Amino acid sequence: MIEWLYLTVQAAALVLAAWFFVDTARSKRVRMANVVGVGALEVLLLAQLVTAIVVVPGAAGDGKALFFSYLVTTLLVPVAALFWGSIDRSRWGIGTVAASCLIVAALMLRLHQIWELQIDVVA
Amino acid sequence: MSSPETAPRRLSSGFGRLIVLVYVVFAVSAGVRAVYQVATKFDQAPVSYALSTLAAAIYLVAAAAIIKGAAHTALAAVTVELVGVLGVGALSYAVPDWFPEASVWSHFGTGYGLVPLVLPMAGLIYLLRRRRDANGAALDAGGRAV
Repeated sequence: MIEWLYLTVQAAALVLAAWFFVDTARSKRVRMANVVGVGALEVLLLAQLVTAIVVVPGAAGDGKALFFSYLVTTLLVPVAALFWGSIDRSRWGIGTVAASCLIVAALMLRLHQIWELQIDVVA
Repeated sequence: MSSPETAPRRLSSGFGRLIVLVYVVFAVSAGVRAVYQVATKFDQAPVSYALSTLAAAIYLVAAAAIIKGAAHTALAAVTVELVGVLGVGALSYAVPDWFPEASVWSHFGTGYGLVPLVLPMAGLIYLLRRRRDANGAALDAGGRAV
């Protein structure tokens, strides 16, 4: 993958997860700042998607469909978690969003694997 | 987590919300992968791919049961899941020939960051605590009524 973009997404996902888990420990409700944070992560993921749309379809390898299905899932998970978490009145509302950021990090790891091993991108 | 609330708490509120999210993500990711494996290369590792499909189905049942508040179904699904991951995890070490390709539960779920092992434990603890709290509340209400 484009390493700096990949690492930026990973860093953002992990920082958000840490921040949201601190909010969880402090029993905070989901608030605007959290939404902005998830929005920033989504912008990075969209950049990742656009990059992939430009680079991947022309490459060889049998992992392309897999790659895009993972990437689209990755984009949807934090948004779904934000809706699902924001209707909760306990600390686990933001806790759910925090978990979704860890899921994004895990999915990015898998995406990186697929890109490196199952797609032959000539950069 | 045990903040007093007047309205009865739904099974999918509080920590249950986080659990549901993880169950749904696992049901979808393990499920799509398993269906793909069964459809394209079932012969290579029939036991693994069948077990992965079963695991995905159980994740789906657990998520749906918690969302709908079906405590008994949820407890049954999570228990089956724990037995499954422990049994298959042990078998994958004891009889590796049965698992030429890994299933979700192989090696206690190390291929998925051990989440398949931790998830049913967290789920079981959560569901049992909720059941205990509910029983306690029912006893309190009964006591007041008399």
